[in-house]
Amino acid sequence: MAEADKKVTRRGFGKAVAGAAAAAPSLAPGPAKAQAPAPAKPAQPPAGPIVRAYSGMVDQITFGGIGIGGRGMYDLRQLLGDDRVRFVAIADIRESARENVKSYVDRHYKNNECKMYRDPAELLERKDIDALLITTSDRWHGPMAIWAAQAGKDMFVEKPGAMSIMESYALADNVRRYGIVYQSGAQRKNQFAFEFAVGLARSGKLGRLLAVHADTAIGLGTVDEGGHSWWPEEQPEPDPLVFDWDKWLGPCLWRPYNSWYPNGGRGQFWDFHAGLLEWASHTVAMAQWAADMEHTEPIEYEPEGGEFRGDGLIQRYTIHCRYTNGVRLILRNHSWMGLGSCSSRFEGTEGWVETGDSGNIEVSPNLKSLVPTRLGRRYDPTNEHIREFLQSIRSRIPPRANADVTAHTHIASHAAWISAQLNRKLTWDPAKRMFIGDEEANRMRSRAYREPWRLEALATTM
Amino acid sequence: MQTPAQKERPKVPPEFDALPIWKMSAQQLVAMVKDPKSTVFQKAIACKRLSIIGGREAVQPMAALLSHPQLACYARFGLEPIPDPSVDDALRAALPKLTGKLQIGVIHSIGFRKDARALNALSKLIHDSDPQVAGAAAAAVGMIGGLQAGKILQAALKSTQPPVFPVAARACLLCAESLMAANRARALELYTELSEKSMPEPVRLAALRVLNAAGPAPAYANRWPAPTGAAADADTSGFLGKRPK
Repeated sequence: MAEADKKVTRRGFGKAVAGAAAAAPSLAPGPAKAQAPAPAKPAQPPAGPIVRAYSGMVDQITFGGIGIGGRGMYDLRQLLGDDRVRFVAIADIRESARENVKSYVDRHYKNNECKMYRDPAELLERKDIDALLITTSDRWHGPMAIWAAQAGKDMFVEKPGAMSIMESYALADNVRRYGIVYQSGAQRKNQFAFEFAVGLARSGKLGRLLAVHADTAIGLGTVDEGGHSWWPEEQPEPDPLVFDWDKWLGPCLWRPYNSWYPNGGRGQFWDFHAGLLEWASHTVAMAQWAADMEHTEPIEYEPEGGEFRGDGLIQRYTIHCRYTNGVRLILRNHSWMGLGSCSSRFEGTEGWVETGDSGNIEVSPNLKSLVPTRLGRRYDPTNEHIREFLQSIRSRIPPRANADVTAHTHIASHAAWISAQLNRKLTWDPAKRMFIGDEEANRMRSRAYREPWRLEALATTM
Repeated sequence: MQTPAQKERPKVPPEFDALPIWKMSAQQLVAMVKDPKSTVFQKAIACKRLSIIGGREAVQPMAALLSHPQLACYARFGLEPIPDPSVDDALRAALPKLTGKLQIGVIHSIGFRKDARALNALSKLIHDSDPQVAGAAAAAVGMIGGLQAGKILQAALKSTQPPVFPVAARACLLCAESLMAANRARALELYTELSEKSMPEPVRLAALRVLNAAGPAPAYANRWPAPTGAAADADTSGFLGKRPK
């Protein structure tokens, strides 16, 4: 094979450039057109076949995966469809999940080379791995992403990205500190209908922006007895080689084992749940994007109506938030136009737009001529979202759902959730990273990690 | 042994129902934590609730649980957010009495609360025979930050080995960041040390990025030889073309 034809990994590329200027011409990028970020494609057909991407200057990125289950398998499938990706290892505390991923990856590459690890720390130590797919359960997203950043790995992490306000800051701080490319799984940021609605707001076509609305669905399911801190009956713990309960709990508070937790029950418990962020990860991100407020949060939060109790919130609710410029962020789980899940609505002095996962877009009558005619096809934009991430690994330009944007989305959502739990109006100071004049609310900004886990490298003052 | 998966939502066992405890006053919760007849569950939920409404009177009863294998995490969960300085006193007092995971937990809580009065004790623990304890101590010193923390970590960079060394390097990076506003010169000194080739690569690259942005750049030296041979013929004015003969 000619020297110029050899595949070059991202790390190898760095060494080649630093070590030998003479090698540069053979590594020169393709035409400018091929380098530009792929334009978002309108209305792709339903997920189905994998979109094949192209190879470029750095034509191989070595990936590992941590905690890949249902949604993670979908992400993995999209990832493997890109020629630039070489997936080499999986870490999971569940034996069945490890073997499932290995079997899938080995079948894809027609070999037996995907390595399995029970402990993610062993995978993080591998210097040949450039990037990670992290799709654990919610409580592990933040700590795992922080450790991955400290190990110098770029990452695609499913949402929500952090379980508390302080963990959100720690995530953004670490990703910035270590110069990491981070993309959260807020894939609607690369979906046509949402991009179009955001574009109307940001272009000024809605006039002066008045309010952005986010469908946050429901905070904690429909738990109606015992709050969200009760313990199911204790059962004997499984063999840690098959299912490691201690590592499954991770940084969360200890509780006795019950097989319901890993079989669909965990979402019913405050300890394992990120509150509004189940959907707010998508919809508040969209609202902040539309309002051009992605690098801050609202300063006021006020719950209205709804029925709040214990350590969670239930039933119908609205939370009114206000940015410094007066624009409102309204979080609600009711009264949408029926355009599908994750609905978003933006209102200005000269018009409004609403859209959702159906792909349909509704606008005020004066804006109807702007709406494209080919609408209404529901599709999953994950492949676009992953492709944007892979482009960012090469360019080092942060992708749309980067850690900073993710952190501010999460802080806004956590602050709103805290106001709902306390059932009172709160004032937030984004610069001081604290609520003003409400000690109870400030105490709810963090969740202590169970020993021996630690939220290392949190630069923020409490 | 793998327990058969439970797919149905179990009923709330009355003895594990958190809601009645959640509705108690801080005084009642403190009494529940103190009461030797209270169950592990009752004490756990009481600590959880005290994290929001507990005051100085809740500190000692919760601190007494720091040596309990299951309840220590609940005690720290309850103590960490309470602003009263008696929490720092209680954590510092517990530090030498604990070992292993429980000691690591307390070390972390001290770091999270940025208790500079614990720096002396932590600086000794950086050389603990348990590398997990030593690493936790280094990380906590980094989170506390400041000039004294910087000195401790700079010394640790010379005296520790992996697996403690990379943690000390990360902690020193954090410490440098916290010094940037108050003492830029000292911060840049730390960044310069962290940019040495002996440092873990993610830390070294992070330090170099800060130094590049901080300026001024080092004096220019023609360090890299000009290309020779085929590379010298490359046409730099166009795309991948050859210089016309």
